[in-house]
Amino acid sequence: MMTLYDYELSGNCYKIRLLLNILGIQYRKQSIEFYPAAEHRKEEFLAINPLGELPVLQDGDLTLRDSQAILVYLASEYDTAGNWYPLLNPRTLAEVTQWLCFANAITASASGARLVDGFFYNLDGDACRADAHRLFRILDEHLWFQERERQDWIVTGTAPTIADIACFPYVILSEEGGISRMDYPAIRRWTDRIKRIPGFTVMPGVFPAGPGV
Amino acid sequence: MSPVCNDPVALGLWHPLAAVEDIQPFTEQRTRLLGQAIRYSKNHENDITVLDGDRRLPVTLAYGYVWTCLGTPAAALFDLPEYAEPDRRNVCAATVGVRVSAPRAVENFLDMGHFPFVHTGILGVEPHTEVREYRVDLDEQRDEILATECIFYQPQAAAGASGGIMADYIYRVPHPYCSVLYKSCPTDESRLDVIALFLQPVDEENVRAHALVSVIDTQSSDLDIRLFQQTIFGQDKPILENQLPKRLPLDPRAETPIRADKAAIVYRRWLRAKGLQYGVIPAAA
Amino acid sequence: MIDLEAARYLWHPIAASSDLVPRHVFHAQILGREMALWRADDDNVNAWENRCLHRGVRLSIGINDGTELLCQYHGWRYANRTAGCTYIPAHPADAPARTICNNTYPAVEHYGLIWSGDSPEGPLPLLSTVDTSFVTPLRAVTINAASQQILLPLIQGYTLQLSDTGDGSLRYGADTPDAFTIILRATDTSSDRAIPAPDIAFFLQPVDAARTTIRGILCGMDEHNTDPQALNDLLRFHNRLLCNIRDRLEKAMADEPAPTPWIPIIPTVSENQASMPAINEDGRSASLRVRVASIESLSPSVKSFRFEPLSDLPEAQLPASQPGAHIDVHLPNGLVRQYSLINGPGQTDHYAIAVKLSLPSTGGSQALHEHLREGDLLATSAPRNNFTLRRDAEHTHLVAGGIGLTPLLAMARALHHMGRPYTLHHFVSQESELFFQDELQTLSGSYHAHIGLNPSQTAVRLADILASPAEHQHLYLCGPAPMLQCARTTAADLNWQDHTVHFEYFANPEERDDSSSFDVDLARSGLTLNVPAGQSLLAVLREHGVTLPSSCEQGACGTCRVAVLQGTPDHQDVYLSDAEKARGDCLMSCVSRARSNKLTLDL
Repeated sequence: MMTLYDYELSGNCYKIRLLLNILGIQYRKQSIEFYPAAEHRKEEFLAINPLGELPVLQDGDLTLRDSQAILVYLASEYDTAGNWYPLLNPRTLAEVTQWLCFANAITASASGARLVDGFFYNLDGDACRADAHRLFRILDEHLWFQERERQDWIVTGTAPTIADIACFPYVILSEEGGISRMDYPAIRRWTDRIKRIPGFTVMPGVFPAGPGV
Repeated sequence: MSPVCNDPVALGLWHPLAAVEDIQPFTEQRTRLLGQAIRYSKNHENDITVLDGDRRLPVTLAYGYVWTCLGTPAAALFDLPEYAEPDRRNVCAATVGVRVSAPRAVENFLDMGHFPFVHTGILGVEPHTEVREYRVDLDEQRDEILATECIFYQPQAAAGASGGIMADYIYRVPHPYCSVLYKSCPTDESRLDVIALFLQPVDEENVRAHALVSVIDTQSSDLDIRLFQQTIFGQDKPILENQLPKRLPLDPRAETPIRADKAAIVYRRWLRAKGLQYGVIPAAA
Repeated sequence: MIDLEAARYLWHPIAASSDLVPRHVFHAQILGREMALWRADDDNVNAWENRCLHRGVRLSIGINDGTELLCQYHGWRYANRTAGCTYIPAHPADAPARTICNNTYPAVEHYGLIWSGDSPEGPLPLLSTVDTSFVTPLRAVTINAASQQILLPLIQGYTLQLSDTGDGSLRYGADTPDAFTIILRATDTSSDRAIPAPDIAFFLQPVDAARTTIRGILCGMDEHNTDPQALNDLLRFHNRLLCNIRDRLEKAMADEPAPTPWIPIIPTVSENQASMPAINEDGRSASLRVRVASIESLSPSVKSFRFEPLSDLPEAQLPASQPGAHIDVHLPNGLVRQYSLINGPGQTDHYAIAVKLSLPSTGGSQALHEHLREGDLLATSAPRNNFTLRRDAEHTHLVAGGIGLTPLLAMARALHHMGRPYTLHHFVSQESELFFQDELQTLSGSYHAHIGLNPSQTAVRLADILASPAEHQHLYLCGPAPMLQCARTTAADLNWQDHTVHFEYFANPEERDDSSSFDVDLARSGLTLNVPAGQSLLAVLREHGVTLPSSCEQGACGTCRVAVLQGTPDHQDVYLSDAEKARGDCLMSCVSRARSNKLTLDL
C-alpha cells in the first residue's frame, strides 16, 4: 500500500488526499507535524525529502516529492480513463502543465498569507495578499470565459484535470490568509463544481457543497 | 495599527503568550497583546522575560504557557488543579492565529450544537443534533461560569471504537478569554479529560488561540493528541472567521439565542456585568 | 464623495443574472452591506443580509439546497422567499418561532442583472436613450477605487480606447443620467466594421468606500443572431478595455490612503426574537388574506386547495411553515376549521391543503368542496405547528389513515428532501381513496398502501408494522380516532417509548364534561378566577383579558396549552400522550378542567 507523508492542515497534502480519494486509491497516512514542531525540517524527514517539504508519496520503490509531481504520477498511473492527466493530447497536456505552474504561484502567495496569519511565519503578508489577488483576477477571468463556452473546468475538455485539483486547495483556504473571494464570482462557482466531483473530500477549513441539481 | 487598549478590565487580566516549551532560548520573539507590540525571550537559566518597549511586564508560568499582564494584575490566574495530577498527560496542543475576537472564540468553545455540522464524524454527526437541557450556574465566589449536565451524541467514543455514545461535558469559564472543558474519559470512567482554550487577544478582532490538553491516556502519542486538537481548531476556523461582526455583541437583541445557547447567554451577561469592553460591542446603556 | 445617504434609496446592480446558477450562493456587497444572493429551484431570487440570525455566520458560505438556505454552523434552515427559519436541529422537537426570519432586501432581474439596494424607492428606473430590446451583460470588473473616482476615467479611457481600435469614423457620445450610470452611444457607425459597435450602458456598483464594480451591458444586439465566436471576441475585447482602465487607475492611486470602510447598520432582531418565547397571539387569529388559486380533485371525495397571497409584494408573503403545521381556515359560512399544510420544503409561495368531504358534514368540508371557487378570498391564520417532525431520527415511521395522510405527506417530502430514511404507510378503505400516488412513488422513502382492511385486520397489520421499535426511531400517526387509538395501544404494547410516538387527531372523539366548577390561580398575573360549570377555562381567561392562542378549541390540536404549577388537571383532550397527562404539568385550556379544587397556572 502506498504511504503519504501528510499534514492534515496543509493544502498541498490535501491535493494528494483529494485525488487519492477521487480515484478510490487506498493509502496509509504518515503524519508529519508541520506546525508547530516543524518535523519536516528534522533529520529524519530530510532523509526522505532533502527539500524538507510536504507531501511525499512512497509507492513501492518510488519516492516522490512535490505535490504537482505526485498528482501527475497518480493520474498517469491510476486513472484508467486518462481524464485527469490526458497524456494522449499534447495541447491539453501542455495546458495542464501551464496551470500546474500557476498553482505553484497560488501556493507562494495565498498559502504564504495563510502561514503568516495562522502559523506566524515571518513573511510579508500584505505582499502575499496582493499577489494572490493578482492571480485570482486572472483565474476568475479565465473561468468566466470558460463558463461562456460551457466549460466547467480550468482546462478545456469534458472532465476536470489535475490542474483543477492543484489550484483548488489554496484558493478555497484563501480567507484564512485574509484574501476574500467576493470579487471572484466565477472562481466561487468553480469551487462549488469541484466540491461536487464524486469522491470529493474535505479538510479542516473546507465545507462540503450541498447536492447539485 | 490597532488602537491601544484602554479597557481597565482587559488590562488587569493575565494573558497567555506562548507555550513555554516552544520558546527557543536566546532568540527574542515578537507578538502582540491588546494591540500592543511586545517581546519575550528565554535566557540560559530558562528565565522568561516579557518586555513592552523598555518596560518589564509581570510573568506567570502556568499550565504550560507563559502569561503576562499589561496593567496591574487584578487577581491571580484561575485555578486548574487537574494540571498537577501526576498521572495526566499535559500537552500544549497548538497556537494558531484566528481572525476573530476572543469572546466569539469562547462562545464557540461552549457550543455543542455545531458538533454535527462542523466537527462531522468526530464530535457529532447528523441526524443526532439535539442539545438537551443542561445547567448553567454563575459561581459568584469564584467568579466563574459553570455549565453542567451537558450531554451530546458522539459518533465514535474513541479511536477504533464502533457505535456512538452520549458523551458528558462540563464547561468552566474562569476568565473572560479562557474556557476549560471536562469530558468523559474513554479509558477511565471515574476521571475526566481536560481541554482548555486560552485566548491571547492580539487586538479586538484577532486572537492567538492556545490549547492545553490534559488527559488520562496511555495509548495516544503526544503527536496524535496535538494533531487531533489541530484538526478541531482547523474546522472551527472558517466559521469563526466568517462571523459578522467579529466582536461579540452584548446587546441581547443583536442575535437570536435558543435554549441550547444558555451558557452563551450567561457568558454575555457576565461580560456585561464585568464592564468588559475589549473584543465586544457593548450593549447600549 | 458620493452621497451615501441618497445612494441607500437607489436601485443598484449587485450581480449578473448569470451569476446566480442553481444551488449556488453568490456573495454580494452594496454600500458596505454584504448580501447572500441565491436562486431557488423555482427561479425566485433571494437577497438576504449575509448573516445567520443565530450567531452572525455569513450565509454566503451556506448551502442552497434548491428550496432552503442552510447555515453551515448549526444547520438552521431558512425558506426560499420568506427567509423564515423552518428548522433548528439543536431542538428537533420544537417548531421555530415564526418571527425568526432573516433580513431580506428587494431583488429584481432586469437588463440581465440583479438589482437591489438598502431601501430602494419606487420602481427600477429604465434606460430611455438606448435600445434595450436585447442586452448582453459584459463581464463585471471590480476596481479598488470609489465610484466617483471612476466615472471620468472610465468615460475618457473607454472612448479613447474604442476610437483607437476603430477605423476613425467611430465617435462616442457619453451621457451620465446619474452618478452611477454612464451611457456611451456610437454617433457614427459604418456597417462593415470589423468589431460591432453597439451602444453601451455602464452601471457603477458602489461596493464599499474604496471598491466599485463596473457592470456594463451591450445594448440592442440580438445574441441569437450574432455569431457566437464574434460575440465572444467582443466580450473579450470589452473585458480587456475595462481591465486596462482598472489597472491604470489602481496604479495611479497606489499611494492614496485608503478611506474608512462603510459600516452598514445591521438591524437588531425583534424583542421577542431575542429570547424565543412562545408565539404571542390571541385566539383564532385570522391574520392572513389569501386567494383560492386552484382547486383540484384528488379522488372522488378529496379535493386539494391552493391558497396564494393577494399580491407579490414582500409584505403579502405567507409566513414559512414546517411539516406537521396546520392553519385555521375561516370559511365564508363563519366556521373555523383546521387543516394540515401539505407543502413541501421551500414551497413558500402558497399554502396547500387537502380536504375530504365528510357527509354528513358539520359544515367545514362541505363549504370547501361545494361552495368555494377559484378566485375566492379567504382569511387564514399563520401556520401553527403542534405536531412537529423531529429530523434527528435514524428512521421515521409515518402511519396515516385516510385523509390523515396530509401532515405526513408534508413530513415525507421534508425527509425525502433531507435524505433521511422513512417509511410511509397509508390505510384506506378503498383504492379510489388513495391520492398523491405518483409523487409518493418517486420519493425516496418506502411507501405502502393498505386497502380495505377491517378493524381487526388493521390491528394485525399495525402490529406487524410496529413490531420492532429501536433506539433513535420515531413514529408519527394521523388518522381517524379508532385507528389512532389502536395504533397507540399497539405501539405501547410493543414497547415503543412514549416520547417516540407522536400523533394528531382530526377531532376529539370523546364526550367532554364541563359540569364541574373550579378555581385557578394565575401565578404571573396574580389573578384568581372561577371557572363555572358550562364554561371553558379558555373562555374565562379571555373574559379577564388573559390572552392565549387557540385553534381547534376541542382538545385536539395543542395550541392553547398552558403549564400547570400546582393542582391536578382533568385533561379531557386527545393531544397529550398518556405520560404527559400523568405528569400533570400542563393542560389544554379549551377542554381541560380540574380534579383538585384549585389549579395554579403559569400565566
